[in-house]
Amino acid sequence: MFMTKAEKLGNLLNGHNIDDINLFRPILMHFAARFNNKTYGEFASDYRVLVESNMKALEYFDMDMVGLISDPYRETSAFGAKITFPDEAVPRCEEIIIKNIDDVKDLKNPDLYSEVRTRDRIEGARYFSRLLKGEVPIIGWIEGPLAEACDLAGVSEMLMQLMIDPDFSNILLDKCMITGKDFARIQMEEGCQIIGMGDAICSQIDIDTYDAYIKNRHLEIINYIHECGGIVKLHICGDITHLLPSIKDLKVDILDLDWQVDLDVAYKILGPDVVRCGNIDPIQVLNESAEEIETLTSHILQKEHGKKHIISAGCEIIVNTPLENLMAIRKASNKYQL
Amino acid sequence: MSELLDKIAYCVEFGKINEKAPYPPDMKGQLGADELTKQAIDEGIAAEDILKKGLVIGMEKIGVKFRENQVFVPQVLMSAKAMSTAMEHLKPFFQSGDVKRNGIFIIGTVAGDLHDIGKNLVSMMVEGNGWEVVDLGTDVNSDKFLEAVKSNPGSHVGLSALLTTTMVNMEQIITDLKVASPETMVLIGGAPVSEDFKNKIGADFYSPDPQGAVEYLNSLVA
Repeated sequence: MFMTKAEKLGNLLNGHNIDDINLFRPILMHFAARFNNKTYGEFASDYRVLVESNMKALEYFDMDMVGLISDPYRETSAFGAKITFPDEAVPRCEEIIIKNIDDVKDLKNPDLYSEVRTRDRIEGARYFSRLLKGEVPIIGWIEGPLAEACDLAGVSEMLMQLMIDPDFSNILLDKCMITGKDFARIQMEEGCQIIGMGDAICSQIDIDTYDAYIKNRHLEIINYIHECGGIVKLHICGDITHLLPSIKDLKVDILDLDWQVDLDVAYKILGPDVVRCGNIDPIQVLNESAEEIETLTSHILQKEHGKKHIISAGCEIIVNTPLENLMAIRKASNKYQL
Repeated sequence: MSELLDKIAYCVEFGKINEKAPYPPDMKGQLGADELTKQAIDEGIAAEDILKKGLVIGMEKIGVKFRENQVFVPQVLMSAKAMSTAMEHLKPFFQSGDVKRNGIFIIGTVAGDLHDIGKNLVSMMVEGNGWEVVDLGTDVNSDKFLEAVKSNPGSHVGLSALLTTTMVNMEQIITDLKVASPETMVLIGGAPVSEDFKNKIGADFYSPDPQGAVEYLNSLVA
């Protein structure tokens, strides 16, 4: 029986016939731009390039979802930071705009429709939606509260503020959370079925700090997305094994797991309901042969058979990854898919 | 003397900067590395002892804890802040030559990469272990590293990269450094970097954590 990719995802989430479903969702940014003969700068600054690059990759690699992820600085720009776009590098934030508690108090939550970079992503959601007509899940994207706070205040400074100044931390994290919720809602209104929340820096903090400052904010965002009818995909780069006992309580639908996390350990902690997405090392996808990657993927899929899982690299596919290597993951996945 | 130095080490290990600092909560109101270091100097304890039997011990302990995932980046940053605040009191002794550094360590994030958290952690840990650190910042190309090595004879170099797209830039920098200054040891680190990659590009040492870099550097002057 033919199923759309959206229906397959629905079945996976609901636990229907999961023995026959193996979804494939690599995180593509710079790679997708290069694949479409565009620069990363064009990809990050023009929604048409982002969407068309993803569509080209969707068609070629037969992926099961597409995404609006591009770089960390959409919301940061909307909050007032100056962002520049090198041709072949991640966009740059030219200034730290939060330098003290007064800056935190003065920070205004932006109108996301009127700010250039957030509007660009919203238009991307609309464009994707028009092209895909609900048949392929679209993953919108927001920065998690700690990632956004670090973008605004600087990573080292923000991490130290968590230790020394609860007012600074709580006020800033709340403002980041509010904008995250707004941005999630708008992208869902424009056609995204899934909202990815990237909070990469969380892997670098201990579970007590996570519980004190981040967990409830993650929960609030996730509950809000669920209330709006969306699906949540949480992405935290790096090793989050130490955070999994808390993440279990978030009721996240899909959890990205980077290559450092053991999928079995995560399953034991999270239980059968959470879809785990991962987790081949992107360096292996870059450097090993297509045959090796196909074998590696098959091993993962064998172990994950009958469990809720999406095959992917642990993090972004590296720009100069050979096409046949990424295709090898798809090929291995096809062997397990109806 | 020993008790005071132990207290300094403890303050560094647990990130107690000064009396006013609210962190860590269970040391609220107690003197921190700042005041205790000043007190040690006032009591006539040799600056070299304050450094090596106090501050360095604290940094070593936090470095090992970090390696073992007992603490995470925020705690290490607080320790480094406590250490650097205390070091301000020792500056005159470094300038007068009363305290000798272990050597000079030049560090930077390689060209194309703007991430600095890993570099900063290594930089702070190495400095806290008695090395003079020349931090070239982020997005550093070969020329800047070569210039810094030329200006600091006998120094060693650390290259950091967070991105797989930028770690490849390490190879050219190492090639250039080895031509210009073969005796300079080059350490590499960063999320995508590995021992295999170190061997492939001709670096001298790879460490997955800052303490490994400290231990390697210290072995060069042991």
